[in-house]
Amino acid sequence: MAIWIPYFIAIPIGAAFFIPLVSRHLRWAPDVLGNLVMLVLAGLSLLTFGQNAVYHMGAWQTPIGIDLRLDGLASLLLISINLIGLTSSFYSVAYMRQYTSKLRYYSLFLLMVAGMNGVVLAADLFNLYIFVELASIASYALVAFGCEHEELEAAFKYLILGSLATLFALIGISLIYGLTGSLNMAQVAGRLASTPSSTALLFALALLCTGFALKSALVPFHAWLPYAHPSAPAPISAMLSGVLIKAIGIYVLARLLFNVFGLTPLLQTVLQTLGVLSMVVGVLLAIGQWDMKRLFAYHSISQIGYVVLGLSLATPLGLIGALYHLFNHSIFKSLLFLNAGAVEYATGTRELRKLGGLRRLLPVTATTSLVGSLSIAGIPPFNGFWSKLIIIIACVQAEHYWLAGAAVFVSFMTLASFLKVQKYAFLETAKEKLQLLSKVPFSMGAAMVFLALMCLLTSLLVLTGLTHPFLITPAAEALQKGILVM
Amino acid sequence: MEFIHHPFIQPMLLPLAGGLLCFLIPRAWSRVCGWLAVLISAATCYLVWPLFLAAPQILDLAPAISLKIDKLSGFILLLTAIFAFLISLYSVGYIRQPEQQKPYFTYFLWTLAAAVGVLLANELILLLCFWGFLGLTLYLLIALNGPQASSAAKKTFIIIGASDSIFILGIAFFGLLTGSTRMDGPAVPLNHPHTYIALAAFIVAAFAKAGVMPFHSWVPDCGEKALLPVSAFLPASLDKFLGIYLLLRTAKDLFVLTTAVNLVLLLAGASTVLLAVMLALVQHDLKRLLSYHAVSQVGYMVLGIGTGLPIGMAGSLFHMLNNAVYKSALFLCAGAVESQTQTADMDKLGGLAKAMPLTFITCLVASLSIAGIPPLNGFVSKWMVYQGLIESGSTFYGSWIIWLAVAILGSALTLASFVKVLHAVFLTKAADTVRSKTIREVGWRQTLPMLVLSLACLLFGMFAYRLPLAGFIYPALRQEVVYPGIWWAGPAAFLMGLGIMMGFIFSLLAGKGKTRIAPTYIGGETLAGEVQVTGVDFYHTYQSLSLLKRFYRLAESKWFDVYDAASKIIFYFVELLRSLHTGRLPLYLIWVLCGLVLLLFLLLH
Repeated sequence: MAIWIPYFIAIPIGAAFFIPLVSRHLRWAPDVLGNLVMLVLAGLSLLTFGQNAVYHMGAWQTPIGIDLRLDGLASLLLISINLIGLTSSFYSVAYMRQYTSKLRYYSLFLLMVAGMNGVVLAADLFNLYIFVELASIASYALVAFGCEHEELEAAFKYLILGSLATLFALIGISLIYGLTGSLNMAQVAGRLASTPSSTALLFALALLCTGFALKSALVPFHAWLPYAHPSAPAPISAMLSGVLIKAIGIYVLARLLFNVFGLTPLLQTVLQTLGVLSMVVGVLLAIGQWDMKRLFAYHSISQIGYVVLGLSLATPLGLIGALYHLFNHSIFKSLLFLNAGAVEYATGTRELRKLGGLRRLLPVTATTSLVGSLSIAGIPPFNGFWSKLIIIIACVQAEHYWLAGAAVFVSFMTLASFLKVQKYAFLETAKEKLQLLSKVPFSMGAAMVFLALMCLLTSLLVLTGLTHPFLITPAAEALQKGILVM
Repeated sequence: MEFIHHPFIQPMLLPLAGGLLCFLIPRAWSRVCGWLAVLISAATCYLVWPLFLAAPQILDLAPAISLKIDKLSGFILLLTAIFAFLISLYSVGYIRQPEQQKPYFTYFLWTLAAAVGVLLANELILLLCFWGFLGLTLYLLIALNGPQASSAAKKTFIIIGASDSIFILGIAFFGLLTGSTRMDGPAVPLNHPHTYIALAAFIVAAFAKAGVMPFHSWVPDCGEKALLPVSAFLPASLDKFLGIYLLLRTAKDLFVLTTAVNLVLLLAGASTVLLAVMLALVQHDLKRLLSYHAVSQVGYMVLGIGTGLPIGMAGSLFHMLNNAVYKSALFLCAGAVESQTQTADMDKLGGLAKAMPLTFITCLVASLSIAGIPPLNGFVSKWMVYQGLIESGSTFYGSWIIWLAVAILGSALTLASFVKVLHAVFLTKAADTVRSKTIREVGWRQTLPMLVLSLACLLFGMFAYRLPLAGFIYPALRQEVVYPGIWWAGPAAFLMGLGIMMGFIFSLLAGKGKTRIAPTYIGGETLAGEVQVTGVDFYHTYQSLSLLKRFYRLAESKWFDVYDAASKIIFYFVELLRSLHTGRLPLYLIWVLCGLVLLLFLLLH
């Protein structure tokens, strides 16, 4: 497997530059090549399941060369990034026709994917930083892709706060380098374990936490997300909310805190506070929204809070719950954003008060959005139910009763706000001014149906998990055991 | 895959597969779905019959998948299947629109499958899955009735969903206490704060499902807006079965209740009985009125369980059966009336006794039954609950007299309410809009379930001890039931029948030639022909009594609705948070810096 690892980065980067070269003459090239690349990547990512490997770039040995590392956690993230990426790019075939330049779109899209894959695979802090920047910069451009007033303003806010995050991260990483003399995560972890903690180290830790909490949009660092995520084109919103905040936010945070620094009770409290704040504030802000995508965006904050809450428990059950929720969230949140995109595509608006009656007008979108809503609200038999259940039980088992109470409250509020979406957009009578501009094209419908089926199928993971180790277990073990020096 | 043939799995799998079949059937064939549902619910009845007869047993399929049957679940299982069969038969006649048929019968069968799952589960998490899924099918079924039902569907699912979330918390605590989430372990004594949290969560879940106050407010909305068979099947019968089942399991098998908890149950039961019936009295919509009664009746069941005595529990279980029988009968009558007149507004209805005699008879029997008139079934079970309350006298600090008084008052008010219904719908003159139509009796697919149910009212009342009590209820409780009071149902029914016969004969003999038909009058004044005396305003004066006026004003401003109260509080915070998000970048930068400073302070401190 090790030999395939660099292809996760090389293929999309190569394709990102190859597509503009050929599509001057071939109009179909961006669509076909973009989807083909994502298909290959998604197939490759499925093969990584259960693999552990280190790849030394150019056969240079560890402290000198660039290392890529694959373990359970990386594999989980790779699968979700590339599967969601494939779905989004297939959805884009029809959706992105409204915008002018597909070639630039696919280039940026693939760069973003390359960045995320790189973050997940990077074994040293500096390359991690590089890939975070790569993914972020591509995403700034993609948020601004519509080039209207709203998009540009959102992208600007996102850019400023995002650069602040990477700035903090860079300072933190350089401090670590100064203190330990290494950038390789396994080596840093080993050296940190033997050195007593100093003010400089804690300062670096605070900077890194702030930086990546900003990237994962935890309250109070969340302010950019409700602007950036709704303004992007729908498949990009799906990528941003579905995987980007996880790959360059939560994943890095978990890697650093669990595997590099080691989780102390104080850090656990910090994570808990961030998690609960995000859950509660996010959901309260969400329920008051009338813009469909904005409502979903606030829910991303709240659901990421769940993941952080589960991580903060640091018990096996808590970690499994958190990572399972992370995986599930990437599926149902992308589905919901794709639904919102389909609604906007067909009616020209995503303002809930102007919609209505779509259950009859857009049956596929209505059914899949019902599935997505039920998944995120944690209704059986959909996947969100299980991960939420595991997190709540883990909270109680770890004797954090208030956290369990908060999780229950947020779960109920999530249900309430998604029932609001269902009622106003789908169940009520259509408003008089509402016109159906066009039907939902095949590629968009197929992408949504695929994700809706995934919402149901991934809940079967629990059943297999009763008897066999399932997708989540190796990932949770990777966090617990720490990085193995190979 | 041999577990598919297991008698525990089949009654779950069959409706599930049937639902899937309905879901996948081409739209052009959607007429088939109805008969498919009838067939499958009949087959389910056939499949659960051996389970009902079987000795208690446990089936462990996998570490966390365990099923169990005992007499209690067997009894409720059989009831569920029979009601599903009756309602599906009625639905074939009622659900006529092709675009409704397919989804309706799909969700109907899935509801049945999930209900069977709830009753067979021996593992709380498994039960929770089915329980949560039932909330979903209920939402989908209500939402089927088009845009007008969207608010009711949302409200129902929010209340049910909230209670399910609380249920999860309860199960987590239960697991923490006992180390497993199996339901066949020893009952947990209430000796730790955690036990109280778990118990409270279970009670909330059961209450919300059964519609006990203060979690009742979805029932009237659902009853008014949903398709009629939905309200007849779910809030009126199935949700009561499951709610009471969970409450009984909680009270008998999972926890050892204390006097204080029993008092809370009694309080909840009594206030539900009284408040809901008072709200029912003033309703204008027939279906909404019936729904309030559905809430009120469940209060008796909770009262029975609250006594903690075998007779109370037996009474409660019997009342659950009876309530399902007469309440579904009443809902089906309302549906028959509505489908023939296109309205359920009692201001407009009237005079249907002649046009729809079978419906009238069913409605009469069911009304008398719900009001607790002997010798019908409602009387027997209420009488058992009363006896339980009296027997519990010494344990609850002498408070039994209050609960008893409330229960009897509730029963009297129920009678008053149904006098109004019978008058307004069947006896008085109809409004012109309805009178101008030719109204006929509904078809046999609708009258048959109605007649079966009203016959059951009569039989379960007259042969109460021999038929339902000895057959189902005593085995279900596994306890000796001692009767402090005496009620010979058979002889009493005979004597009452005799009295009515004799009165009839006397009136024939003595009244011959002496009767005359007088014009309608009110207060001694003859009314002009076109004035209509609806029963709707029967209790208007009573509504304006000073103390009650306040109650009704509070009810109008939705004071008794947790849903409204909670949403007001929550939206206060929502607005507060929204006002902080001004959209100005410098403000957001300040938040980030504050967060960083706070983190630094925490870590370096």
